[in-house]
Order: sequence, then structure tokens, then C-alpha cells
Amino acid sequence: MTGEDTFSFSIDLPVRNEWRHVELLRSSVESCFQAVFADLDGKNAISMVVGELLENALKYGNWDSEADRGSFRLRVEGDHHRAVVIVQNPVVPGDACVTEVLDTLAWIRSFRTAAEAYRARLLAIAGAPDVGASKLGLVRVAYEGNCHVDAVVDGTTLTVTAQMTLAAPAS
Amino acid sequence: MDSLASGNLTIEVSGGADAVVCTWKGKSNDRHPAQVLAPWFEELLADAAGRALPVEMHFEGLEHFNSSTITALIRFIQTARNRGVRLVFVYDQNLKWQRLSFDALRVFDKGDRAFELRTAPGGGAAGPGGATA
Repeated sequence: MTGEDTFSFSIDLPVRNEWRHVELLRSSVESCFQAVFADLDGKNAISMVVGELLENALKYGNWDSEADRGSFRLRVEGDHHRAVVIVQNPVVPGDACVTEVLDTLAWIRSFRTAAEAYRARLLAIAGAPDVGASKLGLVRVAYEGNCHVDAVVDGTTLTVTAQMTLAAPAS
Repeated sequence: MDSLASGNLTIEVSGGADAVVCTWKGKSNDRHPAQVLAPWFEELLADAAGRALPVEMHFEGLEHFNSSTITALIRFIQTARNRGVRLVFVYDQNLKWQRLSFDALRVFDKGDRAFELRTAPGGGAAGPGGATA
């Protein structure tokens, strides 16, 4: 980071698939952004996005194959205008969990705003029996994180990308 | 009613003649928070109903919660309404994440005072019982 025109950041980590690592990474990213940015709301937003995407990866990834576990990865990168959180995790191609991620993102895009999608999801949760998965995490990333969220499947790897706009960094 | 301590989360129970006050502190980031919260909520509602008191939940000191916790809270709102226990959530409107998370829960405020959202006076430093509408 040598000046306004070259300000950039990048975190790129392989992750072991244990639940306690979500909080370790979420709070680490939060601390990094607190050290860099004056925008405390942005720090909270980006750490929330990291937490929700890592939780989803652990809940819905395929952790049966020792070889595939190496594809679990967190990347956070950006500049003074934007941040991108990318989480990769192993999946079984065509698995219902993969379809659900893609369907949820399409569902979010069917609303005029992410806020409308979020409120609709809250009401759906209230009106449904408690069957476990609420599918709220991705909608929260879009709404509360103000993120544009995409997902692609390449072989046995699912990559979820969340892009957000940032306030200016501390001078 | 006992306070709750689970992982990085504590919920301290206090209060007197006016309300059962629950103060959330730390982080709610368990993989299955409902497994701990739902039975504790049940006990809390039974206690409040038995004393004919509302439940006032303070989130100003909460650092973070995951979406599974939000789901557990939605079910708590529904259960409290069904049991006839008045429920108030108090949050820090100066924290954007709390403002966004809790403002969205207004979809469950039906104007019947069964469930109310309040912002803490002067930001997040307010103690229990000091909330304003």
C-alpha cells in the first residue's frame, strides 16, 4: 500500500474444515479491516460476509474426500473502493446443496432489492416448520453486506463470490 | 431463571417487577444455536408467563450473531406471541449491522405490542430498562 492509486489488499488462505475456524477467520478479517479502515461498519459487514460464507461452505460442502478438502479456501481482496470475499469449497457436482445455492441466488435476484428478499425470507422462516436449514445466510450477505453474490461450479469446486462497496480508507 | 452461557455467548437475566430483562453479550456463532437457545427460550417464556411479565431482550452489547441465531430468534418471536408473552428487543441503532438486522425484524411487529423493537437511548451504552421507543 504505497499510495491512493496503489492501495490494495489481499488475503488468501487454505482453510481446514473445522467449525471453530469460522470464528477465527471471521474475527481475524475483522481485526485486519479495523487496522486499515476508518469505516467500522464496513469492518463489521465484511467479517459477517466471511462468517456466513464459511459457515455455508462447512454446512453444505463435501468433506468425504481427503483430496477435495484441500480446495477449501478463503480469499478477501480489494482496494479502497470495493472488497471481494471468495470462498471455495468441495462439492458433489449436481448435489442438492449446490442446486440450492444457485437457486437461492436466483431467488434473491428475482426481488427488486436485497432488502425485500431478506424480509421475504424472514417471513418464510416464520411460516415454515423448523426443518433445520433456513437458507438465510446468503440473503443476509446480499442485504446486510450490501453484496452482489455469484456462484459457479467447476468440477468438484463451488466458488461463491460476494462483492461489496467500501467507504474510503483511513488516511 | 438462570442466565445462559454457551460458547462465546452469554445471556444475563435480571429484572424486577416490570420485566424479565435478558442482556446478550459476546458472539452467537454456534453451528446449531437453536439446540441451546430453544430450550432456554422455552424456560424463559414459562418463567415470564408464570409471573405475567414481558421479556425485554437487550442486544446492544452483542458483538456478532450468525444467521442461524436470527432464525432461532424468529422462532422465539413466534413462540412468545403464541404463549401471550410480550416481547421487546432493544438494539443499538448506531451500529449499522444491528440497525439492518433488527429493523428487518419489524415485519413481525403487527402493532399489537406483542412484539416491539426499540432503539437504545444514546446508542449502545444504555443499560437494561432504559430503552425508548
